[in-house]
Parts: sequence; structure tokens; C-alpha cells
Amino acid sequence: MALGADRYASRGDTFAFFGCVLLSVAAMSLPERIRDPLARSLRQTVLAPFLALQQQTELLSASLARYDAVVAQRDSAALAATFLPELRSENTRLRSLLGLGTRLSSGYVPAEVLHEPEPSSALSFIVSAGKNQGVKPLSAVVSPEGLVGIVSSVDAKTSVVVSWAHPEFRASAMAADGSVYGIVAPHGSEGPRIWLLELQGVAYRQLVPTGTMILTSGLGGVLPRGVPIGTVVGVAGEAEGWERAYLIRPAVHPAAVTHVMILTGPPVRGDLRALFESSGETP
Amino acid sequence: MRRSDKYRFYVILAALVVLQFSVRGRLGGDRVAPDFLLLALLIYTIRARPGPSAAAGFLVGLLRDALTPASFGAGALAHTLVGYLSSWSKAVFFAENLFVNGCLFFAGTWCRNLAVALASGKLKGGLLGWELLVWSPIQSLTTAVAGVLVLWLFGRHLAIRLSDA
Repeated sequence: MALGADRYASRGDTFAFFGCVLLSVAAMSLPERIRDPLARSLRQTVLAPFLALQQQTELLSASLARYDAVVAQRDSAALAATFLPELRSENTRLRSLLGLGTRLSSGYVPAEVLHEPEPSSALSFIVSAGKNQGVKPLSAVVSPEGLVGIVSSVDAKTSVVVSWAHPEFRASAMAADGSVYGIVAPHGSEGPRIWLLELQGVAYRQLVPTGTMILTSGLGGVLPRGVPIGTVVGVAGEAEGWERAYLIRPAVHPAAVTHVMILTGPPVRGDLRALFESSGETP
Repeated sequence: MRRSDKYRFYVILAALVVLQFSVRGRLGGDRVAPDFLLLALLIYTIRARPGPSAAAGFLVGLLRDALTPASFGAGALAHTLVGYLSSWSKAVFFAENLFVNGCLFFAGTWCRNLAVALASGKLKGGLLGWELLVWSPIQSLTTAVAGVLVLWLFGRHLAIRLSDA
């Protein structure tokens, strides 16, 4: 990169310099009505391709930024979509609960199930309503699908609910047509059998077809009459030729319940069957 | 001197112009990003005579003024001065050295900003101080670094004495 010393300003260079300076000063003193059209013409001719290039670069940059934003939004939507079925299910359940509450008209307390992350949480659980809300021991706890359990103890703001899966749970039950009466209890005290119920004490000569809906009978005065318990799925066993026990698939699983209704007073009608039948959905 | 070398020189200058309108916006703020257009002018003035350098500076400044009509003419005057003085001083004083060229780029950028600020009359007081003492040195530094990189990478192709062309 040798540099020659032959580039000292010659007279022509000096003239060119002063000419450019004069032109610059003239440009500075141009009135607006001439300056603006001149600048516009330069932008629309010589600078046009460069401005187009700059615009395209900005668009590309903005597109990249938007792409990142779109990807982030898509990821957020995908994450939200994973919760959508659960939210829909909960929404449906709450609507059902609301409908049931409307049909009950009075004598109930809505409560939220305070699930604990323990294996035994389905056997007994805490609900967010207690003595202050009018909850009493042995109140029936229902969901739109049917019987969940009964209240075993009551605190000021919470209550302990014993679900139908609890080994000590018992309920007086009947077939939907009232032809058969018996006692419903958990089918087993451990293992998967705990999630089935058993209709006990049915006379040997009384057959209960598979698919028969089992409801609370109201006998004993603890549980109201007509609350769905489950559906007969088969014979559980026979005892000495005089008694049969039937397996019942419960109408509601305690672990799947998030909100319940605690029946705190005498319902408007004696038999609640119609209220639950119109609630529609069963699991 | 080979004809292909002259083409490479202008290709590099054109590439700097393209960089000005493409990637400069992504190299930081407008006041600190390297000024590739001025860098192209300064590289041109290193090899050109003062007269053509002043004319090139005038044209570059006029085009820039078209993009900032509020100070129309100030850029033309500033770039004319920088182009002429750069070419003249490079021929008279400076040796052919990367560091010296870097200093030339730094000084050229800072003087251009000074001339624009004074000629346009838009900046006064504290704003002028901030511009000349803070922002201009930063932009001068980034421009000088970019210029040194260009000379380091393509110096072989830029070693053309345009006065002989």
C-alpha cells in the first residue's frame, strides 16, 4: 500500500473543493419550496434502491422478531391446550353442580374438595365448608353424578367427608324401580376392589339385572332417598343360597370430584331421583 | 495496476454502501453504529486526490441530506470538508499504517459530526456537548474499528492509486 506524495492539492483540487463548499452553502440556503422537491427527487431516484434495501432489511428484521413472538405464542397456546380438556371437564362439572343446586332450591352448601396428594385421599377428604356454613355431621355429600359420601366430622370452616370408598361406609340402597333393597358397602378394603361397591343383603330369589341403577333408599334417615350410587355390573357372590351380593360401578369417583354439594337440610321433595336424572352426565 | 483490482476496490466500496442500508440498523443504536457510508468515503479519499475526494464528499453528503431534509446542505458541507481534508492530510502527513488509518477514520467521523452539528445549528449547549463528547466518539470508534477490519481483510485489494487510474 505504497503511498505516493503526488497528491498534494493542486489548483484544480482547490477549485473543486471550494466549488463543493459553495454548492453546500447554497444547498443550506435553499428555500423550503426548492429544498424539499430536490430531496424528494433524490430519494425517489438515486436513493430509491438503497431505501428499498433498507426497507426490506427492516421487514426481515421485523419478521424475525415476529417469528419469535409467534413461536412464543404458539408454545403458550400449546401449553394452555394441554389444560383445556381438564378445564372443560371442570367447567362441565361446575355447570352440572350449578344446575343441581338450582333444582335443589335450598338446603345445600357448595364446597370445594381440598385434595391432598396422598393415596388415601379418596377415602376421606376435606371440603371447604364447615359449621359456619351450616354443615352437620352425617350430611350427605353429593355431586351432579351421584353420592360421594357423608360428612364425618365438622370444623368451623371445613369438614371431613368419608367417601363411599371408605371401608366403614355403608348406605341403605335400593334398585331404581324399588323392587330390591340392600346395604351398599365398599367391595374390598384394599387393592383395586376398593373402587367398586357391593350391594349386600339382597334376597337370593331377587335377581338384579346388570345395568340396574342403584339409589339411596332413604331408610334410616341419614341419606335422602333417590341419590344415585351406581350401576350393577354383575354378581359379587352368594352366601349359603339365601343371599346374593352384586357389584356396583359407582356413579362418581371421589378422586375425580373437585366440587361437591353438602345437603344440609330437608330437600324440597322427598325423592331426589328426578334431580339427578335431569343432571344428565354420568362418568 | 490490474483492471480487476480497480473493480475490487469499487466492489468493496459498494459493499460498504450496501452494509449501510442493510445491517447497520442491527448493529446498535443509530448514534453508535459504524457509519459505513462515511467509511467508504474515507477509504476512497485515502486513494483519491483531494479534488475528487471533495466532490465525492459533496455527493455523499447531499444524498444523506436528502434523507434528513431538516438540515439540508449541512451534510454536504461536512462531507466535503472531511473528504478534502482526509485526502489532503493523508497525502501530506500520514504513513501507510493500519493504526494511522484507524485514527484517520476516527477523526474523520468525529469531524464530520462536528461539522454537521455546527452547520445545521440544530444542536446547542448540553446537547451539543453530549453529541461531541459522548456519542460522536463512540460512533467514531465503531467506525474506526470497522474501517480497520475492512483494511485488514481487504487491504490488498484497496492498494490502488486512483490518481494513476
